[in-house]
Amino acid sequence: MTRAKRRWLPALLIPLALVLAVLTGSVQAGATVSLPPKTADEVLAMIARTQVRAFSGTLQQTAELGLPDIPSSTPGVTPGAGTALEFLAGSHTARVFVGDPTKARLQIMDAMAERDLIVNGKDAWFYNSADNSATHLQAPKPGAPTETLPSKPAMPTPEALANRFLAAVDAGTEVTVGEASSVAGRSAYRLSLAPKDPGTLVASVSIDVDSETGFPLGVHVQAKNQADPAYSLAFTDLSLTAPDPGLFQFTPPAGSTVTTKVLPARLTPVPDADSSPKAPSPHGTRVSGEGWGSIVMLPAAAVPAGLTSNPQISQVLQSVSGGRALTSSLVSVLILDDGRVLAGLVPLERLQSAAAAQ
Amino acid sequence: MSADTSKPLAPGVRPAVGWSLLGSELSVLFRRLRTWAMLLALAAVPILIAVAVKLSSRPVAPGRGPLFLDRITQNGLFVAVTALVVCVPLFLPLTIGVVAGDTIAGEANMGTLRYLLLAPAGRVRLLLVKYAGAVAFCFAATVTVAASGALVGVVLFPVGPVTLLSGDTIGVGESMLRSLVIAGYITVSLLGLSAIGLLISTFTDVPVGAMAATIVLSVVSQVLDNLPQLDWLHPWLFSHHWLGFADLLRQPIDWTSFGANALLQAGYIAVCGTLAYAKFSNKDILS
Repeated sequence: MTRAKRRWLPALLIPLALVLAVLTGSVQAGATVSLPPKTADEVLAMIARTQVRAFSGTLQQTAELGLPDIPSSTPGVTPGAGTALEFLAGSHTARVFVGDPTKARLQIMDAMAERDLIVNGKDAWFYNSADNSATHLQAPKPGAPTETLPSKPAMPTPEALANRFLAAVDAGTEVTVGEASSVAGRSAYRLSLAPKDPGTLVASVSIDVDSETGFPLGVHVQAKNQADPAYSLAFTDLSLTAPDPGLFQFTPPAGSTVTTKVLPARLTPVPDADSSPKAPSPHGTRVSGEGWGSIVMLPAAAVPAGLTSNPQISQVLQSVSGGRALTSSLVSVLILDDGRVLAGLVPLERLQSAAAAQ
Repeated sequence: MSADTSKPLAPGVRPAVGWSLLGSELSVLFRRLRTWAMLLALAAVPILIAVAVKLSSRPVAPGRGPLFLDRITQNGLFVAVTALVVCVPLFLPLTIGVVAGDTIAGEANMGTLRYLLLAPAGRVRLLLVKYAGAVAFCFAATVTVAASGALVGVVLFPVGPVTLLSGDTIGVGESMLRSLVIAGYITVSLLGLSAIGLLISTFTDVPVGAMAATIVLSVVSQVLDNLPQLDWLHPWLFSHHWLGFADLLRQPIDWTSFGANALLQAGYIAVCGTLAYAKFSNKDILS
């Protein structure tokens, strides 16, 4: 009898050992790393001094904005406002390769499919494996190509996002250094930007800064009244060596449908994985308020045509008095009936009162 | 058979017995009419796909149907990948379920289990040999689909450089190599299911019951994997990485899902294997 029972022992011990291994693994992943203490200014200086110009890594992007699930891009849908919305819900994995300053490649890894953006000097290609289509993005003919294509390809990396937030740091922001963490197997300082303005939906923005190179490894935006980060973009894997240059050579595969697009003067090749309000454009955009609680107002003329008729966008809009609105845990957008659009990292009520005050 | 080839060993040394047992297990498995019927049915899947695409007058719209279906007419080598995508959710688990569910229960049902255990092999070794047989079938089944797909593709369609998911193209030689790696990935994917089949097989003397239970479990696991409400459970389902071999069609190859899949399957093998050992070593062999 005891012998029969002893034979069940491995069946009990092995699962137990596996559970323990999984638990210790997850504990170690969340364990704090000990690093020499640094002040916020020192960490900010590290970011400014970072020399990382070539790298390859895997990015994990998650958005928990409390928006309804938006169906991911369907074949045939060209990248645009609709696909940009896709990045406001759910999670995405992408690989990013950055070579010398003019070469970069972004691979958005979908299930059994992939979308690629390859920037190589003056040429940029967008390839979608789902419908086997390639788009050649060209700089406008008369302008100097070096001016229209940014000298450093704008890849949606934590660095780009971090710089965007750091540019917005003002007196209304409390900058602190939190506990060190481990990101993509590297120890990192956690820089925390907390708005003092009680009117904004942003609770804090934390930036993980590589302790060796000062390279931002991850950005997490916490919203008020929500435990999980509303938005996060971080490396899960990073190598600081220059990727194979062959990765930046792209010829559209045989049998693919190739279209050529001449880019407008402002280059936004990727749907920017950023949930902050739209960058001000010169067409009469007005910004009211300041700091984190500021509200951007676009006049009807500056709003892209067909914004509200886009089925994917109208899906997330709800009717409110005076227009339609998108409310999320981090950002609110109010589209007034007269065509004006207001947006900000503030609750909808503040947008409505700002619209009424105009 | 293979006992003849093994080195002369001192009497009482067991490995020789294990290898000969494995040899006889494999020869029994692959001389069975049922095994050949299943392999032939699997080989027919890519042929059906290729012939259907060849005969259809309308070109397949890009993005419709299983992966790469629209590109088969341009490059026959895609038939293998498309056929594997079609086979992984149902046909391969179906055949694996039959083989793995039959391992112990089949012998018990036929009354041959007692004679197998009369040999000085021991129950652990018999269990290992039975599992090895199921693994060999996993590999044979996957390679059959891939090889039959590649062959029918070469016969019916032009062959040329293969476009990867990333839009890069690779030569025929490298595409063959990647097909082989994909076959390896799918074989690894099915190891967990084989272990589950072996475990269920030790609990019953009715092979059909073990087969059905294994197949049902593979379907249940895939259904659960598609319910977004259970996303905390998804990484623990043995079918979670089954279609992850698409990562081998990226440039450069992404090995993360291969590693995660191998680790997950190893966990299933460890848990089901020890459970099967406990059950089987305590089993009363009456027939």
